[in-house]
Amino acid sequence: MMDCKKIKKDLVAFLYGELREDEKELLKTHLEACPDCRKELQHMKEVIKGADSLQEDIEKAMASVDWEELPSRITEAVFAKEAPLPREPWLAGISRFFFQSKLRPAYAALLIGVLLGSFITFIVFRAPLPREVEAGNFLVSRDFLENVELEMARRETLNYLEESQYLLLDFIQSPSERSAEFWQSEFVSQKARGILARKKYISPQLDKFKMAKAKAICDQIEYLFYELVQISAQLSEEEVSKIQNMIEEKKLLLKIKLLKKELEQSEV
Amino acid sequence: MKEPVSVLFLRESPEKFKMEEKREVEHEDVYILVDKIKEGDREAFMTLTRLYQKKVFLLAYSFFRNREDALDIVQETFLRFYEKVRMFQRGKNFQNWFLQIAKNLCVDYYRKNYSKSKEWDRSKPIDEMNLPDQSSYDPLGSSDLREIISACLKKLAEKQRMIFVMRHYNQFKYREIAQILDISLGTAKSLHFKAVRNLRGLMAPYLGRQL
Repeated sequence: MMDCKKIKKDLVAFLYGELREDEKELLKTHLEACPDCRKELQHMKEVIKGADSLQEDIEKAMASVDWEELPSRITEAVFAKEAPLPREPWLAGISRFFFQSKLRPAYAALLIGVLLGSFITFIVFRAPLPREVEAGNFLVSRDFLENVELEMARRETLNYLEESQYLLLDFIQSPSERSAEFWQSEFVSQKARGILARKKYISPQLDKFKMAKAKAICDQIEYLFYELVQISAQLSEEEVSKIQNMIEEKKLLLKIKLLKKELEQSEV
Repeated sequence: MKEPVSVLFLRESPEKFKMEEKREVEHEDVYILVDKIKEGDREAFMTLTRLYQKKVFLLAYSFFRNREDALDIVQETFLRFYEKVRMFQRGKNFQNWFLQIAKNLCVDYYRKNYSKSKEWDRSKPIDEMNLPDQSSYDPLGSSDLREIISACLKKLAEKQRMIFVMRHYNQFKYREIAQILDISLGTAKSLHFKAVRNLRGLMAPYLGRQL
Protein backbone atom coordinates (compact mmCIF):
# COMPACT_ATOMS: atom_id res chain seq x y z
CA MET A 1 0.00 0.00 0.00
CA MET A 2 0.95 3.54 -0.60
CA ASP A 3 1.23 4.91 2.92
CA CYS A 4 2.31 1.70 4.74
CA LYS A 5 5.72 3.13 5.49
CA LYS A 6 4.24 6.20 7.13
CA ILE A 7 1.66 4.13 8.96
CA LYS A 8 4.30 1.81 10.37
CA LYS A 9 6.16 4.76 11.77
CA ASP A 10 3.04 5.84 13.57
CA LEU A 11 2.29 2.43 15.05
CA VAL A 12 4.42 2.91 18.12
CA ALA A 13 2.96 6.34 18.82
CA PHE A 14 -0.45 4.81 18.31
CA LEU A 15 0.16 2.04 20.82
CA TYR A 16 1.34 4.60 23.36
CA GLY A 17 -1.66 6.80 22.79
CA GLU A 18 0.36 9.63 21.32
CA LEU A 19 -1.67 10.11 18.13
CA ARG A 20 -4.21 12.82 17.55
CA GLU A 21 -7.82 11.70 17.01
CA ASP A 22 -7.72 12.23 13.25
CA GLU A 23 -4.41 10.37 12.93
CA LYS A 24 -5.82 7.56 15.01
CA GLU A 25 -8.86 7.26 12.75
CA LEU A 26 -6.70 7.23 9.67
CA LEU A 27 -4.50 4.50 11.09
CA LYS A 28 -7.43 2.36 12.21
CA THR A 29 -8.94 2.55 8.78
CA HIS A 30 -5.67 1.55 7.22
CA LEU A 31 -5.17 -1.36 9.61
CA GLU A 32 -8.60 -2.75 8.80
CA ALA A 33 -7.51 -3.06 5.22
CA CYS A 34 -3.79 -3.91 5.58
CA PRO A 35 -2.77 -7.29 7.07
CA ASP A 36 0.88 -6.39 6.70
CA CYS A 37 0.59 -3.42 8.99
CA ARG A 38 -1.56 -5.43 11.39
CA LYS A 39 1.22 -7.97 11.62
CA GLU A 40 3.68 -5.20 12.28
CA LEU A 41 1.40 -3.89 15.01
CA GLN A 42 1.36 -7.33 16.53
CA HIS A 43 5.14 -7.38 16.62
CA MET A 44 5.23 -4.03 18.30
CA LYS A 45 2.77 -5.25 20.87
CA GLU A 46 5.05 -8.18 21.63
CA VAL A 47 7.84 -5.78 22.40
CA ILE A 48 5.58 -3.80 24.68
CA LYS A 49 4.43 -6.95 26.36
CA GLY A 50 8.02 -7.91 26.88
CA ALA A 51 8.76 -4.51 28.36
CA ASP A 52 5.76 -4.82 30.63
CA SER A 53 7.17 -8.08 31.91
CA LEU A 54 9.90 -6.11 33.61
CA GLN A 55 7.37 -4.17 35.68
CA GLU A 56 7.34 -6.78 38.40
CA ASP A 57 11.10 -6.59 38.68
CA ILE A 58 10.99 -2.81 38.83
CA GLU A 59 8.25 -2.88 41.43
CA LYS A 60 10.35 -5.21 43.54
CA ALA A 61 13.30 -2.86 43.29
CA MET A 62 11.08 0.08 44.17
CA ALA A 63 9.71 -1.77 47.18
CA SER A 64 13.20 -2.57 48.40
CA VAL A 65 14.01 1.09 48.94
CA ASP A 66 13.09 2.82 52.17
CA TRP A 67 11.44 5.93 50.74
CA GLU A 68 10.79 7.40 54.17
CA GLU A 69 14.42 7.28 55.18
CA LEU A 70 15.99 8.21 51.84
CA PRO A 71 14.98 11.90 51.77
CA SER A 72 16.55 12.61 55.14
CA ARG A 73 19.68 10.71 54.17
CA ILE A 74 19.99 12.62 50.92
CA THR A 75 19.25 15.93 52.63
CA GLU A 76 21.87 15.15 55.24
CA ALA A 77 24.47 14.36 52.59
CA VAL A 78 23.64 17.39 50.45
CA PHE A 79 23.61 19.88 53.31
CA ALA A 80 26.77 18.43 54.82
CA LYS A 81 28.54 19.08 51.56
CA GLU A 82 27.00 22.50 51.03
CA ALA A 83 27.37 23.48 54.66
CA PRO A 84 27.14 27.27 54.55
CA LEU A 85 23.59 28.42 53.89
CA PRO A 86 23.11 31.02 51.20
CA ARG A 87 23.11 34.58 52.59
CA GLU A 88 20.83 37.45 51.69
CA PRO A 89 19.87 37.25 48.03
CA TRP A 90 21.84 40.30 46.82
CA LEU A 91 24.90 39.32 48.81
CA ALA A 92 24.53 35.76 47.60
CA GLY A 93 24.29 37.05 44.06
CA ILE A 94 27.45 39.08 44.38
CA SER A 95 29.41 36.35 46.10
CA ARG A 96 28.12 33.82 43.61
CA PHE A 97 29.45 36.05 40.86
CA PHE A 98 32.86 36.36 42.47
CA PHE A 99 33.15 32.81 43.69
CA GLN A 100 31.77 31.00 40.68
CA SER A 101 33.94 28.08 39.73
CA LYS A 102 34.41 29.51 36.24
CA LEU A 103 36.48 32.30 37.77
CA ARG A 104 38.73 29.95 39.69
CA PRO A 105 41.42 29.82 36.98
CA ALA A 106 41.38 33.63 36.90
CA TYR A 107 41.86 33.79 40.64
CA ALA A 108 44.62 31.23 40.47
CA ALA A 109 46.32 33.29 37.76
CA LEU A 110 45.89 36.42 39.86
CA LEU A 111 47.40 34.73 42.87
CA ILE A 112 50.32 33.44 40.83
CA GLY A 113 50.77 36.93 39.40
CA VAL A 114 50.80 38.52 42.82
CA LEU A 115 53.24 35.95 44.15
CA LEU A 116 55.50 36.27 41.12
CA GLY A 117 55.28 40.04 41.26
CA SER A 118 56.19 40.21 44.89
CA PHE A 119 59.00 37.74 44.34
CA ILE A 120 60.43 39.81 41.48
CA THR A 121 60.01 42.99 43.49
CA PHE A 122 61.82 41.33 46.34
CA ILE A 123 64.67 40.21 44.08
CA VAL A 124 65.00 43.61 42.37
CA PHE A 125 64.79 45.77 45.44
CA ARG A 126 66.67 43.50 47.72
CA ALA A 127 70.03 44.10 45.95
CA PRO A 128 70.56 47.77 47.00
CA LEU A 129 69.77 46.91 50.55
CA PRO A 130 73.12 45.36 51.58
CA ARG A 131 74.91 48.26 49.85
CA GLU A 132 73.03 50.63 52.05
CA VAL A 133 74.18 48.67 55.02
CA GLU A 134 77.80 48.89 53.81
CA ALA A 135 77.44 52.60 53.20
CA GLY A 136 76.05 52.81 56.64
CA ASN A 137 79.57 52.26 57.97
CA PHE A 138 80.42 55.70 56.60
CA LEU A 139 77.31 57.27 57.81
CA VAL A 140 78.89 58.79 60.86
CA SER A 141 78.16 61.99 62.64
CA ARG A 142 79.51 65.26 61.34
CA ASP A 143 81.34 65.80 64.58
CA PHE A 144 83.24 62.58 64.20
CA LEU A 145 84.28 63.44 60.65
CA GLU A 146 85.44 66.86 61.74
CA ASN A 147 87.42 65.34 64.53
CA VAL A 148 89.06 62.98 62.09
CA GLU A 149 89.93 65.86 59.79
CA LEU A 150 91.25 67.87 62.67
CA GLU A 151 93.40 64.98 63.79
CA MET A 152 94.74 64.52 60.31
CA ALA A 153 95.49 68.23 60.01
CA ARG A 154 97.24 68.10 63.36
CA ARG A 155 99.39 65.18 62.32
CA GLU A 156 100.21 66.71 58.98
CA THR A 157 101.17 69.92 60.71
CA LEU A 158 103.29 68.00 63.15
CA ASN A 159 105.11 66.24 60.32
CA TYR A 160 105.54 69.51 58.53
CA LEU A 161 106.97 71.15 61.59
CA GLU A 162 109.27 68.25 62.32
CA GLU A 163 110.67 68.09 58.82
CA SER A 164 111.08 71.87 58.74
CA GLN A 165 112.79 71.73 62.11
CA TYR A 166 115.35 69.18 60.94
CA LEU A 167 116.01 71.07 57.74
CA LEU A 168 116.41 74.42 59.52
CA LEU A 169 118.64 72.80 62.07
CA ASP A 170 120.77 71.40 59.26
CA PHE A 171 120.79 74.84 57.59
CA ILE A 172 121.81 76.72 60.72
CA GLN A 173 124.55 74.26 61.53
CA SER A 174 125.87 74.16 58.00
CA PRO A 175 128.70 76.65 57.28
CA SER A 176 127.36 79.83 55.72
CA GLU A 177 129.84 79.74 52.82
CA ARG A 178 128.41 76.46 51.65
CA SER A 179 124.77 77.52 51.81
CA ALA A 180 124.28 77.58 48.05
CA GLU A 181 125.71 74.11 47.83
CA PHE A 182 123.48 73.03 50.69
CA TRP A 183 120.26 74.27 49.13
CA GLN A 184 121.14 73.04 45.67
CA SER A 185 121.91 69.54 46.84
CA GLU A 186 119.51 66.90 45.62
CA PHE A 187 118.45 65.74 49.04
CA VAL A 188 117.77 69.12 50.58
CA SER A 189 115.97 70.62 47.61
CA GLN A 190 113.71 67.58 47.43
CA LYS A 191 113.05 67.80 51.12
CA ALA A 192 112.29 71.51 50.85
CA ARG A 193 109.95 70.99 47.95
CA GLY A 194 108.19 68.24 49.90
CA ILE A 195 107.78 70.58 52.81
CA LEU A 196 106.39 73.31 50.57
CA ALA A 197 103.93 70.90 48.98
CA ARG A 198 102.85 69.73 52.39
CA LYS A 199 102.29 73.29 53.42
CA LYS A 200 99.96 73.79 50.49
CA TYR A 201 97.87 70.93 51.82
CA ILE A 202 97.78 71.93 55.47
CA SER A 203 97.17 75.66 55.15
CA PRO A 204 93.45 75.33 54.25
CA GLN A 205 93.15 72.83 57.12
CA LEU A 206 94.72 75.25 59.55
CA ASP A 207 92.42 78.00 58.31
CA LYS A 208 89.46 75.78 58.71
CA PHE A 209 90.22 74.88 62.28
CA LYS A 210 91.26 78.39 63.19
CA MET A 211 94.69 77.41 64.40
CA ALA A 212 96.04 80.92 63.85
CA LYS A 213 99.25 80.54 65.87
CA ALA A 214 100.25 77.35 64.11
CA LYS A 215 99.34 78.93 60.77
CA ALA A 216 101.56 81.95 61.46
CA ILE A 217 104.57 79.81 62.27
CA CYS A 218 103.97 77.51 59.36
CA ASP A 219 103.67 80.53 57.03
CA GLN A 220 106.95 81.92 58.30
CA ILE A 221 108.63 78.57 57.68
CA GLU A 222 107.11 78.44 54.22
CA TYR A 223 108.36 81.88 53.22
CA LEU A 224 111.74 81.10 54.60
CA PHE A 225 112.11 77.87 52.66
CA TYR A 226 110.62 79.41 49.57
CA GLU A 227 113.12 82.21 49.64
CA LEU A 228 116.02 79.94 50.49
CA VAL A 229 115.27 77.51 47.68
CA GLN A 230 114.73 80.29 45.18
CA ILE A 231 117.55 82.62 45.99
CA SER A 232 120.11 80.65 47.95
CA ALA A 233 122.33 80.48 44.89
CA GLN A 234 122.68 84.25 44.66
CA LEU A 235 123.14 84.85 48.40
CA SER A 236 126.47 85.91 49.75
CA GLU A 237 128.09 84.33 52.74
CA GLU A 238 127.18 87.30 54.87
CA GLU A 239 123.61 87.24 53.87
CA VAL A 240 123.36 83.54 54.59
CA SER A 241 124.82 83.91 58.03
CA LYS A 242 122.50 86.87 58.56
CA ILE A 243 119.51 84.66 57.79
CA GLN A 244 120.92 82.01 60.08
CA ASN A 245 121.22 84.55 62.84
CA MET A 246 117.77 85.85 62.19
CA ILE A 247 116.36 82.35 62.50
CA GLU A 248 118.16 82.01 65.79
CA GLU A 249 117.07 85.45 66.96
CA LYS A 250 113.49 84.82 66.17
CA LYS A 251 113.83 81.53 68.00
CA LEU A 252 112.07 79.85 65.16
CA LEU A 253 113.25 76.45 66.16
CA LEU A 254 112.06 76.98 69.70
CA LYS A 255 108.70 78.11 68.45
CA ILE A 256 108.51 75.02 66.29
CA LYS A 257 109.37 72.88 69.28
CA LEU A 258 106.72 74.55 71.43
CA LEU A 259 104.12 74.31 68.74
CA LYS A 260 104.92 70.65 68.26
CA LYS A 261 104.49 70.02 71.93
CA GLU A 262 101.21 71.88 71.93
CA LEU A 263 99.93 69.90 68.98
CA GLU A 264 101.03 66.61 70.51
CA GLN A 265 99.24 67.41 73.72
CA SER A 266 96.06 68.44 71.94
CA GLU A 267 95.74 64.98 70.48
CA VAL A 268 92.09 64.22 69.85
CA MET B 1 -8.51 -15.54 11.20
CA LYS B 2 -9.04 -11.86 11.04
CA GLU B 3 -8.83 -10.49 14.50
CA PRO B 4 -10.96 -7.53 15.36
CA VAL B 5 -8.71 -4.53 15.21
CA SER B 6 -9.99 -3.15 18.47
CA VAL B 7 -8.51 -6.10 20.33
CA LEU B 8 -5.09 -5.33 18.96
CA PHE B 9 -5.35 -1.76 20.13
CA LEU B 10 -6.22 -2.62 23.64
CA ARG B 11 -3.04 -2.85 25.56
CA GLU B 12 -3.33 -2.88 29.28
CA SER B 13 -2.15 0.56 30.19
CA PRO B 14 0.80 0.45 32.59
CA GLU B 15 -1.28 2.12 35.25
CA LYS B 16 -0.28 -0.45 37.81
CA PHE B 17 3.02 1.25 38.10
CA LYS B 18 2.19 4.83 38.81
CA MET B 19 3.95 7.02 41.27
CA GLU B 20 2.57 7.32 44.71
CA GLU B 21 2.53 11.07 44.25
CA LYS B 22 0.03 10.71 41.43
CA ARG B 23 -1.53 14.09 41.92
CA GLU B 24 0.54 16.49 39.91
CA VAL B 25 2.18 18.99 42.15
CA GLU B 26 0.95 22.38 41.19
CA HIS B 27 3.63 24.47 39.51
CA GLU B 28 3.17 27.28 41.98
CA ASP B 29 3.75 24.95 44.93
CA VAL B 30 6.99 23.71 43.38
CA TYR B 31 8.13 27.26 42.71
CA ILE B 32 7.57 28.14 46.36
CA LEU B 33 9.53 25.06 47.42
CA VAL B 34 12.37 25.94 45.07
CA ASP B 35 12.44 29.53 46.35
CA LYS B 36 12.77 28.22 49.87
CA ILE B 37 15.53 25.83 48.84
CA LYS B 38 17.37 28.73 47.25
CA GLU B 39 17.40 30.27 50.71
CA GLY B 40 18.82 27.07 52.15
CA ASP B 41 15.60 25.67 53.61
CA ARG B 42 16.30 22.08 54.63
CA GLU B 43 12.67 21.13 55.13
CA ALA B 44 11.75 22.37 51.68
CA PHE B 45 14.61 20.39 50.24
CA MET B 46 13.43 17.26 52.00
CA THR B 47 9.88 17.80 50.78
CA LEU B 48 11.10 18.13 47.23
CA THR B 49 13.19 15.00 47.65
CA ARG B 50 10.08 13.11 48.76
CA LEU B 51 8.22 14.32 45.70
CA TYR B 52 10.81 13.42 43.10
CA GLN B 53 12.94 10.59 44.50
CA LYS B 54 10.84 7.84 42.98
CA LYS B 55 10.74 9.41 39.55
CA VAL B 56 14.51 9.61 39.47
CA PHE B 57 14.91 6.12 40.85
CA LEU B 58 12.47 4.69 38.35
CA LEU B 59 14.25 6.37 35.49
CA ALA B 60 17.70 5.31 36.65
CA TYR B 61 16.65 1.80 37.59
CA SER B 62 14.88 1.05 34.36
CA PHE B 63 17.86 2.47 32.50
CA PHE B 64 20.58 0.59 34.41
CA ARG B 65 18.55 -2.28 35.83
CA ASN B 66 20.74 -2.09 38.90
CA ARG B 67 19.43 -0.98 42.29
CA GLU B 68 22.68 0.41 43.69
CA ASP B 69 23.51 2.39 40.59
CA ALA B 70 19.99 3.81 40.62
CA LEU B 71 20.31 4.87 44.25
CA ASP B 72 23.64 6.53 43.47
CA ILE B 73 22.00 8.43 40.66
CA VAL B 74 19.16 9.55 42.95
CA GLN B 75 21.54 10.97 45.54
CA GLU B 76 23.78 12.54 42.91
CA THR B 77 20.80 14.11 41.18
CA PHE B 78 19.64 15.88 44.33
CA LEU B 79 23.16 17.00 45.09
CA ARG B 80 23.56 18.42 41.59
CA PHE B 81 20.11 19.95 41.85
CA TYR B 82 21.08 21.82 45.01
CA GLU B 83 24.22 23.12 43.33
CA LYS B 84 22.22 24.36 40.38
CA VAL B 85 19.01 25.41 42.10
CA ARG B 86 19.80 29.13 41.83
CA MET B 87 19.86 28.78 38.08
CA PHE B 88 16.26 27.65 37.97
CA GLN B 89 13.83 30.36 36.97
CA ARG B 90 10.11 30.57 37.50
CA GLY B 91 8.09 29.83 34.39
CA LYS B 92 10.14 26.79 33.45
CA ASN B 93 8.70 23.35 33.93
CA PHE B 94 10.42 22.21 37.09
CA GLN B 95 10.02 18.49 36.62
CA ASN B 96 11.48 18.54 33.13
CA TRP B 97 14.34 20.74 34.27
CA PHE B 98 14.97 18.49 37.23
CA LEU B 99 14.81 15.25 35.28
CA GLN B 100 17.23 16.68 32.77
CA ILE B 101 19.80 16.63 35.56
CA ALA B 102 18.94 13.01 36.33
CA LYS B 103 19.10 12.01 32.69
CA ASN B 104 22.47 13.70 32.19
CA LEU B 105 23.84 11.92 35.21
CA CYS B 106 22.53 8.59 33.93
CA VAL B 107 24.21 9.08 30.59
CA ASP B 108 27.50 10.19 32.16
CA TYR B 109 27.41 7.33 34.62
CA TYR B 110 26.59 4.87 31.89
CA ARG B 111 29.43 6.06 29.69
CA LYS B 112 31.84 5.92 32.58
CA ASN B 113 30.87 2.57 34.07
CA TYR B 114 29.00 0.58 31.50
CA SER B 115 30.46 1.20 28.08
CA LYS B 116 33.33 -1.26 28.62
CA SER B 117 31.33 -4.00 30.25
CA LYS B 118 28.73 -3.51 27.56
CA GLU B 119 31.27 -4.28 24.87
CA TRP B 120 32.36 -7.25 26.85
CA ASP B 121 28.98 -8.83 27.34
CA ARG B 122 27.87 -7.86 23.89
CA SER B 123 30.47 -10.13 22.38
CA LYS B 124 29.24 -13.16 24.27
CA PRO B 125 25.52 -13.10 23.62
CA ILE B 126 26.22 -12.55 19.95
CA ASP B 127 28.16 -15.78 19.82
CA GLU B 128 25.39 -17.50 21.66
CA MET B 129 22.78 -16.00 19.44
CA ASN B 130 24.47 -17.62 16.46
CA LEU B 131 23.52 -20.97 17.91
CA PRO B 132 19.82 -20.64 18.48
CA ASP B 133 19.24 -24.37 18.10
CA GLN B 134 21.09 -25.37 21.25
CA SER B 135 18.36 -23.95 23.37
CA SER B 136 19.35 -25.93 26.45
CA TYR B 137 22.75 -24.16 26.55
CA ASP B 138 21.49 -20.75 25.66
CA PRO B 139 20.97 -18.69 28.81
CA LEU B 140 18.46 -16.57 26.96
CA GLY B 141 16.76 -19.38 25.20
CA SER B 142 15.23 -21.10 28.17
CA SER B 143 14.46 -17.92 30.05
CA ASP B 144 11.27 -16.06 29.83
CA LEU B 145 10.35 -12.88 28.09
CA ARG B 146 11.63 -10.84 31.02
CA GLU B 147 15.22 -11.86 30.48
CA ILE B 148 14.99 -11.54 26.73
CA ILE B 149 13.73 -7.97 26.87
CA SER B 150 16.26 -7.14 29.57
CA ALA B 151 19.15 -8.37 27.44
CA CYS B 152 17.81 -6.69 24.32
CA LEU B 153 17.27 -3.38 26.08
CA LYS B 154 20.92 -3.40 27.03
CA LYS B 155 21.87 -3.67 23.39
CA LEU B 156 19.87 -0.65 22.36
CA ALA B 157 21.68 2.57 21.55
CA GLU B 158 21.96 4.83 24.56
CA LYS B 159 19.49 7.46 23.40
CA GLN B 160 16.91 4.98 22.13
CA ARG B 161 17.11 3.13 25.38
CA MET B 162 16.64 6.32 27.36
CA ILE B 163 13.59 7.28 25.34
CA PHE B 164 12.09 3.83 25.53
CA VAL B 165 12.56 3.69 29.28
CA MET B 166 11.15 7.18 29.76
CA ARG B 167 8.12 6.51 27.65
CA HIS B 168 7.40 3.02 28.86
CA TYR B 169 8.31 2.98 32.54
CA ASN B 170 8.21 6.61 33.52
CA GLN B 171 5.26 7.14 31.19
CA PHE B 172 6.41 10.53 30.10
CA LYS B 173 4.67 11.95 27.08
CA TYR B 174 6.71 12.65 23.95
CA ARG B 175 6.32 16.33 24.73
CA GLU B 176 8.01 15.90 28.12
CA ILE B 177 10.69 13.61 26.75
CA ALA B 178 11.48 16.15 24.07
CA GLN B 179 11.95 18.81 26.74
CA ILE B 180 14.03 16.64 29.04
CA LEU B 181 16.28 15.42 26.26
CA ASP B 182 16.27 18.80 24.57
CA ILE B 183 15.15 17.43 21.21
CA SER B 184 12.16 18.11 18.96
CA LEU B 185 8.85 16.34 19.35
CA GLY B 186 9.31 14.69 15.97
CA THR B 187 12.76 13.41 16.93
CA ALA B 188 11.40 12.00 20.18
CA LYS B 189 8.66 10.21 18.29
CA SER B 190 10.91 8.76 15.61
CA LEU B 191 13.59 7.72 18.13
CA HIS B 192 10.93 5.92 20.11
CA PHE B 193 9.73 4.19 16.98
CA LYS B 194 13.29 3.14 16.16
CA ALA B 195 13.78 1.86 19.69
CA VAL B 196 10.72 -0.35 19.52
CA ARG B 197 11.55 -1.55 16.01
CA ASN B 198 15.13 -2.39 17.00
CA LEU B 199 13.95 -4.14 20.14
CA ARG B 200 11.66 -6.20 18.00
CA GLY B 201 14.56 -7.06 15.73
CA LEU B 202 16.72 -8.09 18.67
CA MET B 203 13.97 -10.14 20.24
CA ALA B 204 12.91 -11.88 17.04
CA PRO B 205 15.22 -14.94 17.24
CA TYR B 206 14.07 -15.80 20.76
CA LEU B 207 10.45 -15.03 20.25
CA GLY B 208 10.37 -17.10 17.08
CA ARG B 209 11.74 -20.09 18.93
CA GLN B 210 9.40 -19.65 21.86
CA LEU B 211 6.40 -19.76 19.64
